[in-house]
Amino acid sequence: MLKTLIRRELLDNLMTFRFAAAVFIMLLLVVANTAVLIKDHERRLESYNTALKNYHENTQERKTYTSMPLDVARPPNPLSIFNVGLDKRLGNEIWIFHGLVPTLWDARMHGITNPLLKLFASIDIVFIFEVVLSLMALIFAYDALAGERERGTLRLVLTHPVSRGQILLAKYISAMICLLVPLLISLILAVILLTTSTSISLSAGDFFRIGGIILSSVAYLSVFYLVGMLISAATRRTGTALMLAMFVWGFWVLVYPNVILATIASPDTSQASAESAKNQIQQIWEELDRERKKFLANDAVPGGSPRFGIRIESGFNYYEYPIIDSSVLKHTLVSGANILKLHSESEPMVPHAQNYYRYLGPQIIDAAERTWLIRKPALETIFVQPARLDRILLRFSPVGIYDAATQAWAGTDLSGLKDFFTAARKHRRVMIDFYYDKKAFGSRQWFAADKGAVEWESLPQFSFQRSSTQTNAARALPDLLLLLMMNIFLFMFIFLIFIRSEV
Amino acid sequence: MIWHITKREIYDNLNSLRFALTAVLLLALLLINAIVYLRGHPNRTQAYHDATAEAVKKLEERSTSLYRLATEGPGLLYKAHSSLRFCAEGDEVFLPTHVNGENYFSDIAKVRPLWRLSHPQETPNIYNIRPDFTTMDWAFIVSYVLSFVAILFTFDSVSGELERGTLRLILANPIPRHTVMVGKFLGAFISINIPFVIAVLMNLLLISISDSVQLNAELWGRLGILYGITILYTCIFIALGLLVSAAVRESGVSLVVLLLIWVSFVVFMPNTLASIGSRTSVPMAYMEFWSERNRLDRETRKAYEDKYGDSQSTPPVHVIAEYLTVDAEQNERFTEKYLNQQITQGKRARAITRISPAAIVQHLFESFAGTGLERHLQFIENTKRYAREYRDFVIDADRADPMSLHAIGVPEGMSQKRVSPEAIPKFKDTLSLNRDFNAAVMDLFLLVLFLVVLLAGAFLAFVRIDI
Repeated sequence: MLKTLIRRELLDNLMTFRFAAAVFIMLLLVVANTAVLIKDHERRLESYNTALKNYHENTQERKTYTSMPLDVARPPNPLSIFNVGLDKRLGNEIWIFHGLVPTLWDARMHGITNPLLKLFASIDIVFIFEVVLSLMALIFAYDALAGERERGTLRLVLTHPVSRGQILLAKYISAMICLLVPLLISLILAVILLTTSTSISLSAGDFFRIGGIILSSVAYLSVFYLVGMLISAATRRTGTALMLAMFVWGFWVLVYPNVILATIASPDTSQASAESAKNQIQQIWEELDRERKKFLANDAVPGGSPRFGIRIESGFNYYEYPIIDSSVLKHTLVSGANILKLHSESEPMVPHAQNYYRYLGPQIIDAAERTWLIRKPALETIFVQPARLDRILLRFSPVGIYDAATQAWAGTDLSGLKDFFTAARKHRRVMIDFYYDKKAFGSRQWFAADKGAVEWESLPQFSFQRSSTQTNAARALPDLLLLLMMNIFLFMFIFLIFIRSEV
Repeated sequence: MIWHITKREIYDNLNSLRFALTAVLLLALLLINAIVYLRGHPNRTQAYHDATAEAVKKLEERSTSLYRLATEGPGLLYKAHSSLRFCAEGDEVFLPTHVNGENYFSDIAKVRPLWRLSHPQETPNIYNIRPDFTTMDWAFIVSYVLSFVAILFTFDSVSGELERGTLRLILANPIPRHTVMVGKFLGAFISINIPFVIAVLMNLLLISISDSVQLNAELWGRLGILYGITILYTCIFIALGLLVSAAVRESGVSLVVLLLIWVSFVVFMPNTLASIGSRTSVPMAYMEFWSERNRLDRETRKAYEDKYGDSQSTPPVHVIAEYLTVDAEQNERFTEKYLNQQITQGKRARAITRISPAAIVQHLFESFAGTGLERHLQFIENTKRYAREYRDFVIDADRADPMSLHAIGVPEGMSQKRVSPEAIPKFKDTLSLNRDFNAAVMDLFLLVLFLVVLLAGAFLAFVRIDI
C-alpha cells in the first residue's frame, strides 16, 4: 500500500513545473558559482605558491639566525568551495619566532586582495543550498496536506484502508526523493567540475568530507520540508499555508541570522580581563628588560649597550626593538643582526656579544612561554567566546546549524583554522629545539655570517595537514545530530496534528 | 473607477495574513536598524574626532619649521563619517579609513625624502572570527525584504482572480482592462507602502530624537531621494509580479517563477556577477607593485647619484631639491596607478552587476547615504585636492621669504621662519550631493528603464489575457 501511495505522490510531484524549475535553478546556480569559485581557488593557490617561493628565497638569503623573519603559510582549503567559512578571511601567513607563541591574531595575509572589492561577496555552494533548497522544500510542502484537503482528495484517500501515518510517510518519502534529484545532480556536477580542475586535488578523505556535507544538506532539506508540512497540516487553506511558509523562510534564512548578529553585541568581556592580562604581560617583559640591563651592566664591556661597540663593513648591524600590539595582547622583543663583514677592530668584542645572546635567547623564550600562559585564556575570552556565543544563537535557525555542520565537515570552521596555528606553534617548538641543538644562541652565526652561514637545511620543513576525517566528523556530529533531532521532532509533531485533524 | 478598484485591492490586502506579517517584519527590522545604528554611532563619531584631532595636533607640531612641513607632510587624512550610515553600510568596515599623507621613510643617505600620498593595504577584518552576516541597513531591507514582500503581494493578483473566477466578474463591468491593471498596481503599491512608511517613520523618529545624531536639511533631502528610489524599486517588483501573474495563469506556477527570478536577481546575481566582473580587470599583485615601485625609486636615485653622488662635495641645494621632488612625484604617480587599477577593478565588478535591480539599488543607497565605493572615491579625490593645496602652501610660504633659497626639502635651502599653525591648511573631508547625484544618474536611469519595460510587459500580458 505504501508503495502505491509513494508512486502516486512521486508522479504528482515529478510532473510539476516546480520540479523542473528546482532542477533548472539549482544546476544553473551551482555550475556557474562553482566555476567562479574554482577560479578563485586557483588564484589563492597561486598566491600561496608565490609565498612559498618567497620564503624559500628568503631562506637562501638568511645567513644569520636573526637576519630575516621565518614565515610559514597556510594553503587554501579546497573544500572551501563548499563552505568558505573563515578560510579566506583569517590570516594565512605567520611568523615563526622563538620569542612569540604564534596565534591566529598574529597572522598576516599573503596575497592582499583589493580593499575596494567587497571581500566576502563570493558565494559558496552551501550558501546556494541554504537559500534555494529551503525555498524549494517549502514550495513542495506547503500544499501537501492543505491542498489535498481543499480539493477533497484527502478524504478520498482515507476511505481506503490506509493509516494516516502511511500517508504522511509516503508524502515525505516521495517529496524527499524529488528534492534530492536537483541536490544530487548539482553536487555531482560540482564535484565533476572540481575534479577536472588541475589545480585542485581531492583526496579520498575529501570525498568522505563531501559525503558528510551531502548528508548534512539532506538533513537540512528535510527539516525545511517538514516545517512546510507542519504548516500545511496546521492550516486549512493553501493560501494561508503558503504565506506562512514564505514568511517563515524569509525570517529564518534572510532575517534571523543577520538580525541576531547585528543586534546581539558581543559581550564586553574585553575590558577588564584584557586590561589585567595586558598589565601582566607588560610586567613579564619589563622584568626581562631589567634583567637584561643588569646583565649588560655587569658585563666586562662598559656602556651597557648590547651593541658592544661593534663596527661592521657590510650587512646590517645590531637591532633591538619590542613589537607590541595591545589590541591582541601581542608583546615580544626582537633583536639580532646580519653582519656580513666585521670591522677587524671589533673582533675582540664578538665573544661579549655571543655571551649576551647566549643569555638573552633562553630568557626571551621563557618570557614568551609565560606570556602565552596569560595570553591564551585572555584571547579566548576576548575573541573566541563572543564568536562562540554567536554560533549558539545562530543555531536557533536551521540555517545556522547547517552552516556550522558543513563548515566543520569542510574544516573551514574556527577549529579547523586553529589547527593551522597549533601546527605553527609545534613548528616553533621544533625550531627552538633546532636552536638548542645547534647551540645557536651562543653562536657567532646568531648575528654574524662572516665565519660561515647557518645551515637551515637541517631545520625540519613546516608542513600542515588538515585534520583527519574523523576529527572533522566528530566536530560536525553535534550539529548533524541536532538537525536529525529536529527532523524527528517535526515528524512526530506533524503526525500528532494530522491524526487529530478532521478531514 | 481606478480608485474604486484600488480601494477594493487595498481592503483585500489589509485583511490578509501577509499584510500583518509584513507590517510586523518591517517594523521589527527598521526598529532594530535604528537601535543598532544608535548604539554604534557615538563611538564611531568619537573615534573619528579623536583621530582627526590627533592628526591636526601632529600637523601643528610640525609647524616649527617649513622644512618639517615639507618633508613630513600633513599626516594621516581621515575619512569623514556619514550620518546616514543606517541607510547603507556600504562595506565601510572593509574600506580603509584613511589615506596616508606621511613620510614613513627614514634618511636613506644624506637627504630625507619628501612626503607622498599612499594608501593603506591592510585587510582590516583579519582578526574577526565572528560568523559572516549581512548588515541590517535600509539597503538590505529594501533590496531583499521589500522586493520579497512585493512578490508575495502580487503573485496571485491576476492568476488568483482568474482561478477564483472573480476576474471575469470584474471585466464584465464596463471597465477598460488597463484601468483594472492600474488599479491593481496602485492597490499593491499602497498596501506595501503603508507598513513600510510607518516602519520608516518610526525608525527616523528614533534616530532624530537621539542627541548623538543631527540630521540637517541636506540629509533629509538625501533621505527623500532614498525613499524615491525605494518607490521605484518596489514598483519594479510589483510590475514584475503582475506580469508573471498575468502571463502564467496559475498562482502556484506564478509564485515559483517569481521566486526563481527573485532568488537569482536579488540573492545571487549581485555577488556572482561581481566576482566574474572583477576578473576582467585584475590589478597587479601587491608584491609586484611593491617591488616595481622600489625599483623605480632606486632608478631615480641612481640617476641622481650618477650625476652628483660621486663628487665629494655636496651638490647644490637646487639639485637635491629637484631630485627630491622628482622622487616624490614619481613615487606618488606609481602609487596612484596601482590605486587606479584597484578602482577600475571595483568599478568593473559593479558595472556588470547592473543587470540586477537589487544591485543597482544597493549602489544607489550607498551613493546617497555617503558610504561605500563612490564615497571612498570622492574621499580619495578630496585627499588629492588637499595634497595639492598643502604643497602649494609650502611653496608659497617659502616664496614669501626673501632669505630662502627656495630649495624644497633641503633644510638649509628653505625658509627658516616659523609657520603659524593656523595658516596651515587642514584636511576637511566633505560630501557633495551634486556629485553623488551625477554618479547616480546612470543607475537611476536604468531603474526607470527596468520599470518601464516591466510595466509595458505587464500591461500587454494583462490586455491579451484570455479569461
